[in-house]
Amino acid sequence: MARTVFSSVDKGGLTVAASLTGVAALSPLILSAYGVGVLTQLCAWIALAGSWVAFSGMTGYISLGHAVFFGLGAYIMALGWQQIPIVAILPLAGVAAAALALVVGFPALRVRGPYFVILTLGISEFLKYVVVAIEASLGAGGRLLIDTPDTVVLFYPMLGLALAATAINVWLTRSRLGAALRAIREDETAAATVGVPVTRIKMLAFAVSAVIPAMVGALSVLRSTYFEPMQLFSPTTSFTIVTMAIIGGSDRPAGPILGAAFILFLSELLWARAPQTYMILLGALLIGFVLLAPSGLSGLWARRRSASLKRRAVVGRPA
Amino acid sequence: MSLLSVRNLARRYGGNLAVDDVSFDVMPGEILGVMGANGAGKTTLFSMIAGNVKPSSGQIMLEGQAIQGQPPERINALGVARTFQIVRPFPGMSVLENVAVGAMYGRGRIASPAEAREHAFALLRETGLADRADLPASQLNLAGRKRLEIARALATRPRLLLLDEVLAGLNATEVGAALELIREVRERYGLSIVIIEHVMKALMRLSDRIVVMHEGRKVVEGLPAEIANDPRVIKAYLGERRHAVPA
Repeated sequence: MARTVFSSVDKGGLTVAASLTGVAALSPLILSAYGVGVLTQLCAWIALAGSWVAFSGMTGYISLGHAVFFGLGAYIMALGWQQIPIVAILPLAGVAAAALALVVGFPALRVRGPYFVILTLGISEFLKYVVVAIEASLGAGGRLLIDTPDTVVLFYPMLGLALAATAINVWLTRSRLGAALRAIREDETAAATVGVPVTRIKMLAFAVSAVIPAMVGALSVLRSTYFEPMQLFSPTTSFTIVTMAIIGGSDRPAGPILGAAFILFLSELLWARAPQTYMILLGALLIGFVLLAPSGLSGLWARRRSASLKRRAVVGRPA
Repeated sequence: MSLLSVRNLARRYGGNLAVDDVSFDVMPGEILGVMGANGAGKTTLFSMIAGNVKPSSGQIMLEGQAIQGQPPERINALGVARTFQIVRPFPGMSVLENVAVGAMYGRGRIASPAEAREHAFALLRETGLADRADLPASQLNLAGRKRLEIARALATRPRLLLLDEVLAGLNATEVGAALELIREVRERYGLSIVIIEHVMKALMRLSDRIVVMHEGRKVVEGLPAEIANDPRVIKAYLGERRHAVPA
């Protein structure tokens, strides 16, 4: 009767998730360095889009500022590289991003809708130029990171972050916190009136959704081996995250995975050969999904599955 | 001792006093009716008690503890729940999930989602929505949404329930069923209820006492029989309107 409510993870989904993880974990053994690079990139995007969904997808507060957390993580890694061990920098980046999210969220989470969108974009651009100014005053246009680990070594922690982001989203579909976040999205006043401490919960979710992107940023700058603020704080990162979440669907844990895989596949296919076509196609897809399939690829999939289940139930019923 | 005491409560919007120096008490287990024409300040009064609107001045005490100006979630946690005149379901969530949110937070604060769901389902059975538990709340009709408002408010385990025109827009059969429901939940949960209503006959039957508001002020307070024959009430309801029409 109450199945659809906090959808329990079905066995099928769990099996698919476990086998995908297994294949991914073993793939560096057979893939080329290029292949591992693409896979690492895929994990990075899954982790980013998944973190974004955990806050923006759940609450409806669309953040266009997640690039700042990614950039902050990269910056902390660039500053600490060869002075602090990586295993210490990663949590440090996460904690710093969460703290930044609390500081930014305190004013920004007071406004909803387009105001929140613009404010997050504005704050993230502002902080980008602050970092640019700091770096310029130190006389550095960028920082070269030498002796960074091999891509294969970076792949596993990135896979871990993708898994962590997905696990958070699965947990949110079943937990009290997830129910509160969705209630905030649906009607914040009504949520507060039935006892949901809306301000505290929004702050908490915003801070949590900043942690993983910072760690992804920290690992990513090790891959690119060069820190350049204009590039690592680029709002394009935020736009790509939102695009992936919308195309994949931001109301289901599988959404960010499908969205990231789809966009990455598309860009690998077209970016080098036909960059203009790629951007046009991406724009068209985005418009198409927003208008025709707002629940994204994962929503379409879920609908097909429930339709076929119903058909089977009807067929199976004795006359 | 009264459960709720409202003292000299006022809310100003610019130069307009929506609620002006209103005082009354609600006793434990009592049903207090609030009557008045549109714009009398009834809903603003509720919004201040529930914490959705901050009073400009005055006091609201729950069992002697001042609660005015506190955020709605804290007031709800103390045991005050309200419904909205213009219903506010969580439209994209299922009917059951709507109610479960109230059970997970609110005064009950059921920690386990599964238990909250069970509690919510029991309330849906009680309010006659059990067969629609899995539907998105957006697909309920008006009578269903009003019931959902009541179920979701009850899920927070209130001591005081504020019902804002839960009968408006319902047909005669639905009104009868809703009245029955309100009496039932009062008995079962030992609730005190404050109810705003336009349907006068229903309010007379349901209420232990009635407060009549007009243009932000409390005009009369008394037993239903007294209210029905009070010339000031008749004037507030019928007489003023004649004067308001320009000659």
